[in-house]
Formats: sequence, C-alpha cells, structure tokens
Amino acid sequence: MALLNKSKRIDISVNGVKISAIENSNLIDSIKEAGIDLPTLCYHKDLTPNGSCRLCMVEVEERGKKKLVTACNYPVRAELNVNTETEKVKRHRKNLAEMYLGRWPNVPVIQEIAEKCGAVDKEKYKSDLTDENPKACILCTHCVRACDEFIQEKILGFAGRGYKRNVNMPFQKVDPHCVGCSSCAFVCPTGAISIDDNLNHPVNPEMIRDHGMKVNAEMATLDPYQCRMREVGTANIVEVMDAYDLLPVMNYKYGQHKDTPKMDSKVMKAKYFTQGHPDQCWHGCSMACAKAVEHFELKTGPYKGDKVIVDGPEYETAAGGSNMGCFDLDFIVEYNFYCDTYGLDTISYATCMAFVMECYENGIITKEDTGGLHLPFGATNDALEVLHQMARGEGFGLEFGQGIKYLKEKWAKKCPEKAQFIRDIGMEAKGLEYSEYVSKESLAQQAGYTLAIKGPQHDEAWLIFMDMVNNQIPTFEDKAEALYYFPLFRTWFGLYGLCKIVWNDVAPKDNSMKYPPQQAAKIPDHVYNYWKFVEGMTGRELNEQKMLDESARVHNLQKIMSIMLGKGERKDDIPPYRAMGPVTVEEYESRVLRYDKQLKDNGIDIEGKTSEEKVQLMKDFRYEQYRKVTDAAFTRRGWTLEGVPKIERLKELGIDLPELVEIVKDKQ
Amino acid sequence: MILVNDRDQLEWHEGMTVQDILDEMNYTYSMIVVGLNEQIIHEVDYHTTLVEDNSKVTVFHLAHGG
Amino acid sequence: MKRISKEDIVNISKRQNDEFNKYKNMLMVCTGTGCVSTGGISIRDKFNEVLKNKGLDSENIAIGTGCNGFCAVGPIVVVQPEGVFYQRVSLDDVEEIVESHVKNGKIVERLLHKNPVSGAINEKIDNIGFFTKQQLIALRNKGLIDPENIDHYIARDGYKALKKVLEENNPEKVVNDIIASGIRGRGGGGFPAGVKWESGRKAAIKRNEEIFVVCNADEGDPGAYMDRSIIETDPHAVIEGMLIGAYAVGSREGYIYIRKEYPLALDRLNVAIKQAREYGLLGENILGTDFSFDIHVHRGAGAFVCGESSALMQSMSGKAGEPRAKYVRSVEYGFRDKPTVLNNVETWANIPAIIDKGAEWFASIGTGDVSKNPWGGSSGTKVFSLVGDITNTGLVEVPMGITLREIIFEVGGGIPNGKKFKAIQTGGPSGGCIPESLLDMKVDFDSLSEAGSMMGSGGMIVMDENTCMVDIARYFTNFLVEESCGKCTPCREGLYAMKQTLDRICNGEGKEGDIEFLEEMSETIIDTSLCQLGGSAPNPVLSTIRYFRHEYEQHIKEKKCVGGICKSLIQYKINEEKCIGCTACARPCPVNAITGSVKKLHIIDQDICIKCGICREACKFDAVEVF
Repeated sequence: MALLNKSKRIDISVNGVKISAIENSNLIDSIKEAGIDLPTLCYHKDLTPNGSCRLCMVEVEERGKKKLVTACNYPVRAELNVNTETEKVKRHRKNLAEMYLGRWPNVPVIQEIAEKCGAVDKEKYKSDLTDENPKACILCTHCVRACDEFIQEKILGFAGRGYKRNVNMPFQKVDPHCVGCSSCAFVCPTGAISIDDNLNHPVNPEMIRDHGMKVNAEMATLDPYQCRMREVGTANIVEVMDAYDLLPVMNYKYGQHKDTPKMDSKVMKAKYFTQGHPDQCWHGCSMACAKAVEHFELKTGPYKGDKVIVDGPEYETAAGGSNMGCFDLDFIVEYNFYCDTYGLDTISYATCMAFVMECYENGIITKEDTGGLHLPFGATNDALEVLHQMARGEGFGLEFGQGIKYLKEKWAKKCPEKAQFIRDIGMEAKGLEYSEYVSKESLAQQAGYTLAIKGPQHDEAWLIFMDMVNNQIPTFEDKAEALYYFPLFRTWFGLYGLCKIVWNDVAPKDNSMKYPPQQAAKIPDHVYNYWKFVEGMTGRELNEQKMLDESARVHNLQKIMSIMLGKGERKDDIPPYRAMGPVTVEEYESRVLRYDKQLKDNGIDIEGKTSEEKVQLMKDFRYEQYRKVTDAAFTRRGWTLEGVPKIERLKELGIDLPELVEIVKDKQ
Repeated sequence: MILVNDRDQLEWHEGMTVQDILDEMNYTYSMIVVGLNEQIIHEVDYHTTLVEDNSKVTVFHLAHGG
Repeated sequence: MKRISKEDIVNISKRQNDEFNKYKNMLMVCTGTGCVSTGGISIRDKFNEVLKNKGLDSENIAIGTGCNGFCAVGPIVVVQPEGVFYQRVSLDDVEEIVESHVKNGKIVERLLHKNPVSGAINEKIDNIGFFTKQQLIALRNKGLIDPENIDHYIARDGYKALKKVLEENNPEKVVNDIIASGIRGRGGGGFPAGVKWESGRKAAIKRNEEIFVVCNADEGDPGAYMDRSIIETDPHAVIEGMLIGAYAVGSREGYIYIRKEYPLALDRLNVAIKQAREYGLLGENILGTDFSFDIHVHRGAGAFVCGESSALMQSMSGKAGEPRAKYVRSVEYGFRDKPTVLNNVETWANIPAIIDKGAEWFASIGTGDVSKNPWGGSSGTKVFSLVGDITNTGLVEVPMGITLREIIFEVGGGIPNGKKFKAIQTGGPSGGCIPESLLDMKVDFDSLSEAGSMMGSGGMIVMDENTCMVDIARYFTNFLVEESCGKCTPCREGLYAMKQTLDRICNGEGKEGDIEFLEEMSETIIDTSLCQLGGSAPNPVLSTIRYFRHEYEQHIKEKKCVGGICKSLIQYKINEEKCIGCTACARPCPVNAITGSVKKLHIIDQDICIKCGICREACKFDAVEVF
C-alpha cells in the first residue's frame, strides 16, 4: 500500500468539472467531490470496494479510449474525462435497477435506487427468485466484508453459486468464533441481519454500537497508513523512537544506534511474527494489536530446546534490548518469554540489567560480584542466566532481583568514590525502574515520569512529542497544564478498564482539518467516543470536566495513600540525573552543540570551560528547571509545594472525607 | 530562514518543499499534522508544496505511544 | 534417470531415434481418453504380447500414443513408418494385424478408412481427408510418441528450444521473438502472448517482486477437449513452453491449474513432470545454468468460472472462484498479488516450436500481417474440436485463415445422414452461431468476432437442419446460469431472466416484445458484467436472433418450432402414405403411445407421446414426421 505522501495529483474532469484527484484513489471519491451522487448498493465508504452491484458504472475517456467502468474501484492513474450521464449509462442504470426491483420489490433501499434510476416496472424481471420480504438480503456483500475487514474474523461468506448465492456461515452453522461484534448488522442496508442483545442490559446499546463501529471502520481503513497496529502492534514505535533520538541505548546514554534496523518492525514482521489474529485482550477487538512469535526454539533455561509461542515482543521489550546494548531479536524474544514465564516485568528486568551492565563496564562491580558472569553491554547468555537465577532464587540473580534502588545503595557504599555516579545512573524512582523512553531532553517528560505516583511509568503522561518535537508546551505554565491534564486523562481509561490505544494510536481522517493543532493532539473525537461508551453503558453523561474530576478523585486518593505510607515526599519526586541530562563527558560531547546552545541561551557563560565543568553547569541548571516545573505542576494540581493535596482541592472534588483530611491537615 | 515549531531553524533553499523540511528534521512519524503559515497541508501535497523563505512551519506529532 | 546436461539432449535424441529406426514396424496405438474408453490400452498391451509370442518383438513394437484427433473412428492404430491408418480396431483384430501386416506385409483392408464423401479408401494417414488440411504445431507429436516417455519427446526435437534459449542467455530476446511471432492467446482472449510476457517481466522488475507463470488447463467449455488432448498427448510441450516462458519473464515458480474432471491428463502430466525433474529439466540449475524453475499442479473443483483468469487465481489461493475487477491487471497484481503471466495450454504448447523454427516462420502462417504488431492478424494454427452433427468428429489443428466450409466439409466430411447444414456454433457457450451464408468466412480471431461469435478456446459445434436455434440459445444460457459465480447482478439476475424468457418461448408461452426484451437485456449484461463470463453470455442469444430471428418469431407468434425440437410445440405424426405397418416404431416406444397392428397404419397418441424421437430413429421408411 503506497503511503499518501508518495502519491501525486492527477487532473481529471467529471461532467465538465475539474477535479484534482489523488493518484490511485478510487474514481468515486473524485465524483463525490464534484458533487455528484451516484446510485450505489455495494459501496460503503469504510469497506474495500468490490464492484459487484454495477450501479456506479460511468463512462471514462482515458488515453483517447472510451469505456464503461465501475467508479467505486476504478483507480485514477491518468488524466480522465468522466461522464456520469451518457444515454447508455442511464439506460444501463435503469435496466439494472429493474433487475433489483424485480427480485426485491419491497426493500426500501432498493425502491430508493429504483426511483433514482427511473425504474418503475416491478414485473419485468419478476421470477421464481423474487423475494417480497422488505428486509430481504440483497447480496450487497457489506456484512461479509465487514466481518473480514472490521473485525478480521472472516466468518461470513457466500454459499452457493450463481442465483443460489446466499450469505452464510461455514457449514451453515452458527460459528463459535462469532463474537457478536454486530459489525454485520451495523452495515446491513436492509435489516436482514438483526441483533439480539442486551445480555448485560446496557442503558443504550445503539449508542455504544454506533461509536464502536466508527472505531472499527477507522481501524480497517486508516490503521494501515497510520501506526500499523494491526500489522506489527506497538513494535512500530521502535524505528520512530530511533529516528527521534528517543530509543534508550545502553542505560539511556544515547537515543539511537546504527544497529536498530536489526530489530525494527520490518524485521519482526518478516522473520518473527506469525500471528495476526484477533485474540489477545478480548476476542472481539478489531485492532488486535498483540503479536506473537510461534515455534521459537529456546536456547537457555529450563525449557531449552523447546519450541514455544512467545507473546510479544512489544515496543518496551524491544527497547529494553537496545537499553541493554543488544539488538539481537533472538535474545529479545527469549528474555521476553522467560520474563513472562517467571512472572517478571520485562521493563524492570531490562532497565535493571542496563544499570548493572554500566556498573560492570565501569569496574564498580566485577565477576566477583556477579558470581563469574560477564555482563558488559550486549551480553546475552550471561544476562539470561541472571534471569534464570532470579527464578531459582540463587546467586547474583537473587541480589539482582531486589532491583535498582537496593543495588545502587549497596554499591554506593561499596565504592564511595563513585557513589554520586552510581546514583545518577541508576534509573529508578520510588523503587520502580524507568520505562523505555529517553526523557533527557524533555523537561515535561521528566516530570511526567517522576511525579507519577507509582513511579516512572509513562502510563500517566507521555509528553515527549508534545514537548520536544512539537514545542507545544514551551512555558512552565504550559507544562504544568499538561502535567495536570494528561495524567488524569490517561488514568481515567485504566479506571474504566478501557484500552487507551483506540484513543490515540489511530486518528480520524479529518482530525487535523477539524481542530487547531493544540486541540487536535488530544484527538477530541475519540475522547468523545469514550464519553459515549460510558453513557451508553451507564446512562451517565460526561464532558471533559466531569471526566477529569472522576479521575482526579482517585488520583488524589492515591497521593494521600502514598503520603500515609510515608512515601509521598518531594524528595521521592526527584529523578536520577541520567533521566535528565548528560551524566558523563562522553554523553555531553555526543550532543555538544545542543547542550552548549542551551547553556548559552539561558545566560550561562561557558567560555573556556572544560567538558567536566559544563556537565556540572548543565546538571545544576536542569535540576533548577525541574524544581520550577514541579512547583508549577503541583500548584496546578491543587497541591502544596511539597506535593500534598490541599484541603480546598479535596473539598472541590467532594472527597474531603475525615480520614483523608486527617492525613493531610498537618502538612498544608 | 525557516522556523519550525517556533523553535528550530532551518536554512532555506530555492525550490524547498514541505517534504524537504520533514526530511531535514528527520520527521518520519506517521501521525503528523503539518501547517505552513497557518495553512494545513494535505499529505499528498507534501512533495509539491513550495515553501518560501521566512515561512513558519508547524509539525505537530499526535500524542501517541506508551 | 539422472540429471542431464545440454550435450545429453543431443545424445538422447540420437539414441532414441536410432532405436525408432531399428524397428521395422511401430504400431502406434491411440491412448487418448476417447480410445482408452474403447479399449486402447488393452489393445496396445495385447499387441506387445502377441508380438512377443510370435518372436517378432525385436523388430516390432506397439507404443501407446496420445490422441490422434480422429475420435469418430477410434480405437485407432497407425503403423509407422509407413503411415498405414487402421480404424475401429478391436481386441479381436490384433492377431490378424500382426499376422497379416507385420509378419507378412499385407495390409488388412477391412480396417482401413473410407472417405465418407468420395467413398475412396485411403491407406495412409497423410491421404485421409480428415488429416490432409491439418497443419500440426501444438499437436506436432500426436500419434508419434509415448507421452509417458520423455526420451520420445526429446527424440522429436524436444527441449531443443529450451537449450537454445539458455545458450543465447537473453531473456528479452525470447520475449521479443514471441511478440514477433504474433501468437495470440489460444484460450479465448486472443491477447498477444508476447505482449503479456513483456508486461509481466517489466512489472516484476519495477516492483522488485517474484513473478509466477500459470497454465490454464481448466477447459470448461462443454464439448471442448483440445487442452485435455494436448496434455494427454504431449505434456512435455506444455512443460517446455512454460520453462521458456519462465526464463523469459524471470519466474522461478509455475502452476498448472487443471480441471478436476481430467484424470488421465492429470496422470500423464504428473508422470511428465516427474521425468522432467529426474532429468533436472525442472528444479535448480537447469542444464547447468543458474536458471531454476519448478511446476506445481493444482486441481480445480468443478466450476466453469474458474477458467476465468482472476477467478482461477482466487481458486488457487484456496478461495471461491470469483473474478475481480480488471482495472488492476493480473500481470501486475495476480496470484498472491504478485505479477503473474497466465496462458492457455495450447499457447504454451506452441512456444517451443516457435523458438525452434523461428518467429518469422510462425508469423508467416495464418491471416493478416503481424510484422508491425501482433494485433494485425491471427498467426499460426488453432486446434478445434469439431463435434455435433458432423461425420468426422474429432480434434483438428488447422492454419488460421482456413474457411469454415473447408473445416466442415473437407476436414469434417460434411453432415451425416444426408442432412443439411444449418449453423455452426464456435467459441463455446459464450460464442455465437454462424449460418450457412457465412461459411466462406476465414476463421481467425477478428473475423469470428465481427460475425457475432468468437474464437474462444476452439469449440466448433455443427448443427444440422433438425436443430432449433432458440433451443440452442436456451441450452447455452442455462449452462451459464448454472456456472455464473453470482457476484455481479447483471450476470446473476440478467441471465436468469434470459433463461426464463427462453424457457417460456420454447414452451409456447412466448409473447410480443420478448425478442426486444432479450436484446435490451443483452446489451446491459454485456456492458455491465464484471467479467467475460457475463460479458459474453448473451452471445448465443444475440447471434441466433441476428441470423435466425424468424425462428424466434415463429415460436412466439405461430407457436411453431421448425427444427422439431421444442417439445411443447411439436407433434410426432406417422405419415399414412409411407407407413407399412412394420411395428418397428411401436416396440421401442417407452410410453406405449403408438398403436397399430401389423401391416396397418400406426398412430401416435398425442396425449401420451413424450416426443423423445425414438420412433423416428427406429423407422426405416421415414414415415415418422415432426410438425
């Protein structure tokens, strides 16, 4: 499928009107643009056209030759003169409409077509096939295509050849794979398919269906051009992050690497992924973004030699690989499998191992500490051995399993001369290992990560592009606003048990045209869909403020709980410096132009300074920036500068319960 | 001089197109919205839309991922 | 058998020809499907048994060959190198032929062929009227080789063209040669094969994709068996053709899609492929070059529409055979969405001969002038299946440009039983009927189309005076109604409406306006159908209306069927003057509708008579007449 920005425009004329068509688009799009409404039955804007009803036939003159073609699937490849109203075309339309009328005289959509095409004679094509039912199936193929393209189940098909053709499921039985997604009923123009639902009594099932169908249609028609979730899942982000210098490489030292192409989504698709099947989270998901690798032979561990199915790799797991300096998909798939098998998080494992590897390379730990394992960046078998040791609860693995927070304190005591360095490079906050994005150059993301109540999980705020790339939140106030809105918004999905991917991993076609950029970034139509899902289920109407407040109640409760547990203090919200800037001279010099400029632009004199000195200047500057953004964010959230929810805020949200006030009242 | 996202500066050259700007900034991401002096540019026109000197370009990447 | 080299081809040919030459007599026993069903294989085996018993087997041998084409007179045995043609040979004749002809050099006269027109007896195959006007290219090896022995094929210049092509090492030249030869698709489309190859080759290079070559052996036209015959007779011709084509377009993988109903052809094909693989002529590094290619055989499942190339490709992918829009051509996006070159069996079979003897030679045969472009004429020959009301039923290969009259009366031996010619239907169920007035038409792609018919795959059905043209149109329309895939409305609904109308007309319920309705419907079906099944389905109706409108009018206005076929409109009556009361008609009547005693006039009860026609056939005095 060609990406649009590789196509070009072709000038065509439709009934004398000049239209600038996109190469390889379907002719019907241009005809619609010219304001002409062709009669159609099998055409549906969200389904691949198949040219079976023949009503949209028009005359085109191309390269000097005239011919009749179906507009719905005729690709525009050269200049065309299109005439939709020649005598011949009108005659054929009328005859075809009469054929339809003869077979299905009482179906409303057929009657409309007949009127549009000037056909009135019901008797002409009457035969023993004639069906008088006003809800008859008219063989338009919408349902068959929807079952294939929207939901990817391909259960509906045609049985019988020729005039015996009828829509059916395999072996004329109700197929157990049918999930009742109701895509077929949604697209059926006659009501031949009806839905028998209300199993759990939603207040307004049509509302849910309508918005759900919009999503299904977008998945089918737009995803292949956007994030390709169906094709490769979250792995599509690997090459994107690398291009934007955000892919964690060697414990977040760098943002890209020449070997990334060895593990990008193209390689995964070509050599590893074998499933592309809607299963995963729930069987009816039309996105079905999860992927798996089948028949993968394990090389280490208790199942060595077995061929297994591995669920993944997702972006985080692959980026975990680059973070460990390893771009070998065989290693990545294997550590994915064993983390899953042992019940471990791949992110924590990978980030912790990246820390261990940097410590090893810097001589902070040696083979004596690792029990003989050799663990520089890029180590594979020995890194896997640590994983197996973790599972067995022995050796170095047992220590490793305590996590970065434990390890960095232990090793800081062991090597006091390198203690600051160790604390700077140990990528954890609040005891949770950082997830796989390089937040170094985005102040908003640093805050998004580290202010998150559970620890640096990007689930709460993923602001890198808005900040670093779009420059949409340049001031502290802008950042604070984002740090107020997004954590609440993103947490809201989790509270309802909804998948967020459908919010922003696919965007409606007109999103950028309809809304100014700041708003378009929030994908308002999709947010609206979610309100409608909730309203359809519960009857409760939502808007932006109500949604944010629902989430804010829980968010504030969580914050208060962490304060109650003695954890939610300002010092816990400060990142290790590796998350904020260049720790080593090596890192500084890898981006020297950018860093020098930033210092200069902010009035810091670097004339005659050594790299070590500039590293320190930058560190001081950035921690100061971070302090300021934290102040602004807390203020916006209605918290004190120490990050304690103010009582007015609790009152505002209606959660000023005595038990909660008790915890925060002395910290105001 | 071209200003991208109110911050990054690019050298202008004769015959510069929107696609050239995306290439120079290494903006390979699929879900973007491009504005040229307040005008939204359609994807299919990136290759053919010429950019004049001193233009302001916005390339918004839709919040994604995570 | 081991892999062979280029030199081996020459050596094998020489060795095999020496072997042929050492025989005094080679009894070529026809083992095409027709002759097999009447005992061909047993006859061949018995010959070899008898020869052995009589100690004659060192100098004489019986070989089972493919179809000779003269299916009306099978089982056939041709004694080579003399060329003596024996017909209607039975198992009981074997001893006599061995004793008389083989041992003692005396021809068995009673088994020779007698010309039905002149009455002359022809000993030699080359003198027989059925064969004299034929020119064999696709069927160049018929009756001369055992199709299950690759060495026989090699002996007759087999794989020589492949060797030449690999030695010249210039795939584009091969494409250009095929264009220059002018050969147009023998499956019915008539599209210049070389132009198709060129498009495929270019598409594969442009898209940087693999390309497939496919052989369409689905042959769905009722009564057509040209492709079946070619495969049963000379499967290596097809394989070599595909090898050359694959080399020319850059393909490594080929498919033969053969219809399910051809078990003997499938067997022969599988044997040939196996032998070709053993010799290394299929597989990796063919003849020591870096050209690799292999063929997979895919069986159809009984659908006429799967002969349509895009439906065929769907079927090969495991889906229901439904055509798709032609706007994106299959040379660019075909099987598995990759560039695909699809050609008919007969087209492929011609390729080795074209390469061997040269494009100019091929272009010089036929009509028109293909030197500037292949659409300028119809070059080469065409295999036709000549069936119906004709004396010499069978398969013929004749040069393009031969007239219908020559085919019917000289090659075909005219209409049997002294009946008159009425029409000839060409091109299968999507073809049209051509009347007597056009019999001097030269047969080629363009002339047939102009006359309202088409070349199609080469079916020719001859009809005598006892044919109802409306019923013919109905028969073919019915066939197409059953075979329509049903995807598009004009074909699915329109053909059904045509069928209903024709049924009514034949049942005496035709009404004013029916002919106009058929014509109007036909135009819409032709112009708006998605594929050529629908697009050509109205041809039988339109051509019969064009040339035999009066028959339609008679059916409708006078409720009369001049051909004597439409049961509701005819009556069988016994002519009083001719009847001698022999009771020959009454006895076989299945419903006992005839009464009458010996030597008295017999009478048919019209209320009981089912108009089966058995009485008419039984009467030796032409006393049973149809009104």
